[in-house]
Amino acid sequence: MSDVVLELAGLTKEFGLGENVLRILHGLDLVIRRGEFVGIVGASGSGKTTLLNLLGCLDRPTGGRYCLAGRDVAQLDDDELARERNRSIGFVFQSFQLIPQLDVLENVELPLFYDGSPRKERRPRCEELLASVGMTHRLHSYPTQLSGGECQRVAIARALVNRPALLLADEPTGNLDSKNGAEVMQLFDRLHADGRTIVMVTHNPEIAASLPRIVEMQDGRIVRDTPGTARPRPGTATLQRGPGTAGLQPGSGSGGLQPAGDARREAREEVGARLEPGGPGATLERGAPGLEPGGPS
Amino acid sequence: MSLERSAEILGQGLRGLRRNKLRSFLTMLGMIFGVGSVITMLSVGAGARAEILARIGELGVTNLILNSIKPPEETKPADQEEWIARYGLTFDDAEYIRAVVPTVSDLLRVNRVTERAWYGSRRIESSVMGVEPRHLSMFGLTVGRGRTFNTIDDRTRSKVCLVRPGFVRQLETVVDPLGQFISIGGYPFEIIGILEDAQFRSHTAKALNLDGAAQEIYVPYSTSMSTLGTLTTIQRAGSFEASKVELDQIVVSVRTPEEVFDTARMLSAALAHKHEKKDYEIVVPLELLQQSEATQRTFNLVMILIASISLLVGGIGIANIMLATITERTREIGVRRALGARRRDISVQFLTETTSIAVVGGLIGCLAGLAGIQGIARYTAWKAIVEPHYVLVALGISCAVGILFGIYPARRAAQMNPITALRHE
Repeated sequence: MSDVVLELAGLTKEFGLGENVLRILHGLDLVIRRGEFVGIVGASGSGKTTLLNLLGCLDRPTGGRYCLAGRDVAQLDDDELARERNRSIGFVFQSFQLIPQLDVLENVELPLFYDGSPRKERRPRCEELLASVGMTHRLHSYPTQLSGGECQRVAIARALVNRPALLLADEPTGNLDSKNGAEVMQLFDRLHADGRTIVMVTHNPEIAASLPRIVEMQDGRIVRDTPGTARPRPGTATLQRGPGTAGLQPGSGSGGLQPAGDARREAREEVGARLEPGGPGATLERGAPGLEPGGPS
Repeated sequence: MSLERSAEILGQGLRGLRRNKLRSFLTMLGMIFGVGSVITMLSVGAGARAEILARIGELGVTNLILNSIKPPEETKPADQEEWIARYGLTFDDAEYIRAVVPTVSDLLRVNRVTERAWYGSRRIESSVMGVEPRHLSMFGLTVGRGRTFNTIDDRTRSKVCLVRPGFVRQLETVVDPLGQFISIGGYPFEIIGILEDAQFRSHTAKALNLDGAAQEIYVPYSTSMSTLGTLTTIQRAGSFEASKVELDQIVVSVRTPEEVFDTARMLSAALAHKHEKKDYEIVVPLELLQQSEATQRTFNLVMILIASISLLVGGIGIANIMLATITERTREIGVRRALGARRRDISVQFLTETTSIAVVGGLIGCLAGLAGIQGIARYTAWKAIVEPHYVLVALGISCAVGILFGIYPARRAAQMNPITALRHE
């Protein structure tokens, strides 16, 4: 299954030692395939930040297996994790996290710098990516001179520069006004349309509802894994909702259907007209009784 | 790591300095003062050393100088009104040394006369030295105007003298001093030459038992013996005291520096045999040279210590600021780690920054030190010698300080947990 980008099996995370062990994640199972756009939602304390840290190779799980792009990263050492972060993951943060003393181009170059690619080769790639997020005019501006929306676009370009297998976004619109937020979401939709795999943590129910697949967490467990309502975002030129995502079973790593590029494009065309009244998980019901799978089987 | 990448990392480090110019400069101050003082002290030390060596070298490393000194017990007995103290080196000593010390290649006698010199009716402060003609060339006394005296002057006991320019100034005369006569002990002496005002060196003066006034008058030895004699009288509050010293100084030459210390021992033994009292001293310029070299070594050691302390303080300053910077830039460290920087990359980044601060500070310190040396050379009598390798040494040291004091902050930065670093406010 070469199209599986990310696979969690019985992933646990504990903090503390001895008597004071605090179990944050209770054995998560999750499969995300290439081209999926997955939202992770949940109340604070539900473990989504911890999950994001693990997915981002910033931390090591206490138990279980985490395969990223076919490689088990749970047991990697610090340098190898850094390498995974560098090559397989693109981070987009709520607070942009651009380095203030570097200009736009240098910020975007950073992952390539740590990958050891020579300066001459970095430039064209970065300029191309910045052009694709519409930031060509600010190549040599510093982050403090940019608006929030511009900062986030630069951050997205930076996240993409090493062609990561997985784009991890942590509340990417949390610090933006609605207009800029919408723009950034359009950008994510476009990336999704281009076939990128995106995992996004969000608190915003509207955004969450608009995503093709939603994973809901509660108390360190995945309580629901459903396709979102395929509502087009206003102003989004190219919307895509893969029909295949609707068939995903919560907590199962095998039931997902990967939409092929063509199917997705077709689906996008019908999406405006199609509302799925009978579709599973049409609305996001947090903590709905009787629906908790009680952990992965 | 490729050269290009190293250059890029270095460039980033240097850019880091410009980010907060005032802070970088203040941090550098410790290094600037440290390195500046290292350069200055090295140069001034080298200058002082060279000057001392030159001064002692002037006495001749193959020379030994015997001076007559008044023994402390030789004071006037209270019951006598007229009394002549007899002490010091004798003519006999000179002959004896020539006879028994085989290494002596040459021996020069010096007679100091305490008679005053008169020009017309005015008394001129001076000290009169009766020296053999070879003495002048041996001690580098060259004549600027007129002529020097030679063996014929010495043989014929001609009453001629050589004076210093300082003496000429005291004459306060408008006529050419050459050919003028001055009176010493009642005898007229013709000024035949004016010595060049060689830089009067206190060390030389001390070793030669001269006073520092640069007022010596040189007359041929034989002339001084036949006219002025060896008796010195000092009149004091009604009474008078006289001393008779046959030879005030004997300069002994040997052929090679290796013979100097043996000769000194032999001289000491020979003179001890002839003298009951210790009314002479043996000055060995070579020994002085070695002593001053030892002194110089101590001096150097102290300088190194002081310089090390200032560099230590500078290094601590750098480490301190870097620790603060790292706290300030925690989020940056977190972001860099998230984007794929290994611990080593973070270490290298901060080490480069501390080293940049130290080396740039060191460079400024070098320039400040060189400027300070110029100032010292211009406004004081000190001589300073700057050797190119001092600059290299200073820069090497600052580089080492940068790395040494960067290690701890860099480690701290590298050990940060990326998750907490990213959330740092």
